Amino acid sequence: MSTETVTSLRATGARPPRRARGTGGRATAVRAAGAATRAGAALSWVVIGVGGLAMLVPFLWMLGVAFRTSPDLYADPARLWPVHWTLHGVRAVVDQLPFGQLILNTFVFAGGATLLLLLFDSMTAFALSRLRFRGQNAVFVLILATLMVPFQVTVVPVFLTLFHLGWLNSYQGLIIPRATSALGIFLLRQAFLSLPRELDDASRIDGAGNLTLYWRIILPNAKPALASLFIIQFAALWNDFLWPLVVTNDVHMQTLPAALTLFSSQSGVDHAALMAGAAISLAPLAIAFIALQRYFVQGVANSGIK
Amino acid sequence: MTTNRIPTAQPARRRSARRFNSAYLFIAPSLVLIAVFIAEPIVQSGWMSLHDWMVGESSHRFVGFANYTRLFHDSRFWNALRVTVVYTLVVSVGQVVLGLAIASRLRRTTWYSTLLRTAYFFPFIASLVVVGIIWKFLLDPQVGLVDAWLAAVGVSPPAWLQSTALALPTVMAVGIWKNVGFTMIVLLASMQQVPRDLYEAAALDGAGAWRQFRNVTLPALRPALLFTTVIATVNGLQLFDLVFSMTSGGPIFHTESVVMYLYQKGFVEFQMGYASAIAWVLFVIILGISAVQLRVLRYRDVD
Amino acid sequence: MLFAHRRAVPVAAAIAAIAALLLTTACGNGSSGSSGGVVHLSMLTGFTGPDEPSYQTLVKEFNDTHPDIQVTMTVEPWATVGQKLPASWATGQGPDLATPSSDPGSIFSYIKTNSVLPLDPAVGSGADQIDSAAFPPSVKAAFTVGGKLYAVPANMATLALYYNKDMFAAAGISTPPTTEDDLIADAKKLTIGAAGKPSQYGISLADNNTIQMWPVLQWMSGGDILDSNNCAAVNSAASVSALTTWSQLVAKDHISPVGQAGADADTLFASKKAAMEINGPWAAAGFKSAGINLGIAQVPVGSAGPVTLASTVPLMIERTTKHPAQAKTFLAWYTSKTAQEKFSQVSGFPPARTDLGNSTAGDPAVSVFAQALPHAKLYLAGQSVASQIDSDVYVPFIQKIERGAGVQSAADDAAKQINKLTGCKQN
Repeated sequence: MSTETVTSLRATGARPPRRARGTGGRATAVRAAGAATRAGAALSWVVIGVGGLAMLVPFLWMLGVAFRTSPDLYADPARLWPVHWTLHGVRAVVDQLPFGQLILNTFVFAGGATLLLLLFDSMTAFALSRLRFRGQNAVFVLILATLMVPFQVTVVPVFLTLFHLGWLNSYQGLIIPRATSALGIFLLRQAFLSLPRELDDASRIDGAGNLTLYWRIILPNAKPALASLFIIQFAALWNDFLWPLVVTNDVHMQTLPAALTLFSSQSGVDHAALMAGAAISLAPLAIAFIALQRYFVQGVANSGIK
Repeated sequence: MTTNRIPTAQPARRRSARRFNSAYLFIAPSLVLIAVFIAEPIVQSGWMSLHDWMVGESSHRFVGFANYTRLFHDSRFWNALRVTVVYTLVVSVGQVVLGLAIASRLRRTTWYSTLLRTAYFFPFIASLVVVGIIWKFLLDPQVGLVDAWLAAVGVSPPAWLQSTALALPTVMAVGIWKNVGFTMIVLLASMQQVPRDLYEAAALDGAGAWRQFRNVTLPALRPALLFTTVIATVNGLQLFDLVFSMTSGGPIFHTESVVMYLYQKGFVEFQMGYASAIAWVLFVIILGISAVQLRVLRYRDVD
Repeated sequence: MLFAHRRAVPVAAAIAAIAALLLTTACGNGSSGSSGGVVHLSMLTGFTGPDEPSYQTLVKEFNDTHPDIQVTMTVEPWATVGQKLPASWATGQGPDLATPSSDPGSIFSYIKTNSVLPLDPAVGSGADQIDSAAFPPSVKAAFTVGGKLYAVPANMATLALYYNKDMFAAAGISTPPTTEDDLIADAKKLTIGAAGKPSQYGISLADNNTIQMWPVLQWMSGGDILDSNNCAAVNSAASVSALTTWSQLVAKDHISPVGQAGADADTLFASKKAAMEINGPWAAAGFKSAGINLGIAQVPVGSAGPVTLASTVPLMIERTTKHPAQAKTFLAWYTSKTAQEKFSQVSGFPPARTDLGNSTAGDPAVSVFAQALPHAKLYLAGQSVASQIDSDVYVPFIQKIERGAGVQSAADDAAKQINKLTGCKQN
């Protein structure tokens, strides 16, 4: 806050109010301006603090409701925390879903698809940013255009394709169609473009081919961008709800969020079960986020720069 | 060419490079996946849209553009389009403006601004469906926290999701709530890259906080602003999860988005031909809007 | 268990239904088998709620009395059942027996894809036969398509009037309403608080994602949605007059909140903010555990005589099952007098037979639902476009009139749309 006061003082000093005469009047004006700025700043901090709370309270409340009995909730919905604790909601979820299997599936799906995606997207981004070939622009535009296709447009034909390949209810069916993304190619291309050209020249002088340049030079230098993409994609796939449901019709092949969403969507007025389902599906990412916060934020931050 | 460690491989590579550009090998995996799982399905759904494609029937009658003519006269489709456009406009503008305001407030790194950044970013990691489920419940008139707190301070809360006037604005507010943190983080990162002396120079020139913001911050943020706007627009036009989990498109279609309507026709009523026609119209609209935005985006590639 | 509140087809179920309809290859049946003369049958249901033990009891009793047929019932959420069953049945890899959905209209898609076995050869009044003549007529009609019976009722539910005894006592009302006029008077009297924002509502009505309550209000005074020729009756004089009365009560007298989903309506009643709700037997347990001093009475009688809404879950046999005879034996036993009597006693649901009137009178709560059976009607029974009529026309129509739209013109619009869907020519 001190810098702001200084700034406003300077500004007032540079362009003195015309009406103000004599030092006394000026000092009052400066003081008034300072107070107004301070009040404004204080108010904006209050607003922003309340906003910050509004971001977290829904999740806290979700946690609370997951452990509250119905009469407890009905008696006082305004309270965040249970008075009468119950494990009924959690038990309802755990009893009905094959938990270990679901967690394994989710990791295989989100992890496998993200790793493959990093490989394929970085290869394409490498070709688009460091190599020259005919149709380069057309390819780039085509890739960006696919970013605009709503999933629901393609879901039925994709389903038919997976059926003909015999990939329904399989890990390859879950993973391979998700192993590339327009956004990933776009972000990595931006990152690669920002690496100096001298890197290429130096390695080419050493006789390195495209593969060496890609694997030994470009990828190691783009680690932050790759890490960002990993986090963004992993989170997106973890949360993906519709895709796993399309590919699998066996609860043992489903992912955790898909199964929990199905579960929650039919819990009706069983508030504890509903919120326990939501909380459990959110928990792994939330824990990862709190532990690796810096990387999450950095990852997303990187996506917009350059 | 100075080293000769692999004497045989070297000329071979160069010869083949003349005939075949290895760049195509690099783009091949992604392109094949895009062709098989995105491009071909789009074409196929175009083909379906020209048929009376009822799921479960063995043959499908070719109807030409009849589905499109029907669509043109379908008031429920126009309503869905209006809902989608209004949602997209309000949410992308709201998200960017609020994100910018919050980012400029939290620019300096102190313990409390770090804490607040984390808070604002947190909803971004939850899935839209889970967010929808939580908010539907938060806004419940009987057991929801929002109404209970409003009542506690003496405000009579409206029926958020049951009111035809408030349902869409409420969904839009939740949409902004979910993603404003993302916009904020992207813009914040961009802001922190603006050299400090630019501000000092502006201050010496007598620019106040607002003019500094307008003349220094905004121009520097241009690429990040475009990026966040495009992402928000594309997400908005594809609106489905949030509406599905919060209102199912109600009351009386007041929150029914295009994708929601498409879903209803195709996946609940099994009219795939008609649903495909809706999908194609939406696809062309999104493509048109993004073509314009890509033109603007390309701006930042020139460097 | 709130299955009946879920008319909206979940994403997954819808996609899987598409999947099933797209898949037509038939493979071997992997789920049933026989060893040492004992036939094992698998049965998939969606009864995940507190009533699951009742069904398991019934299955166990069958297994005990039929040593050479052993049925295993697995339970999964309705959404999952709806999602996996179409594909697994169409490909011949599913369970021998299953309840495809809590919505009786769901049988049409399975019949269309030729996934289920017609039961007619096993129908009859003999000991080992399916006694479909004893089913409630509306149920039998709903499960008969093209002259063939395809399903038996896995359960049977009717709607009754739940009321909060404490609230009634506080308002000085000693007995639950028995006529529509009493119902209206009580609902008004029990609505307390500022105009437009009562602190207590007389009744909790839902209009979406719910087992329908509004058709009951129409039927009470002789209105309906469809007539016997599949033509719209929603704009008939009786319908319009009934809907005018009730929509006015909601819009002007605020006896119920507007626009509630089924779950919202239950929450309102469970949180002691409404004095009455029309609901099925599954709701009782939740209301009791929420601490409501609960009363259950018959739906009040209007000018058209006693009526209420029935719902039933279809139980079907996979077409490619290896043991059709044994599966039919199970269905015959499941719907027999002994089994239904037993089931009704343990579950609190009415029996799925009309000839057991007095034998279930033990529990007063059960008898309320059972006594309603003879005059209970299914909602849009036997309509292949039922879900479209419901979600595209009826639900928005009710939502409009609750918010003050003119009933006659809205009903005329709805009738036009319904006739278009059913193919009725007389408009």
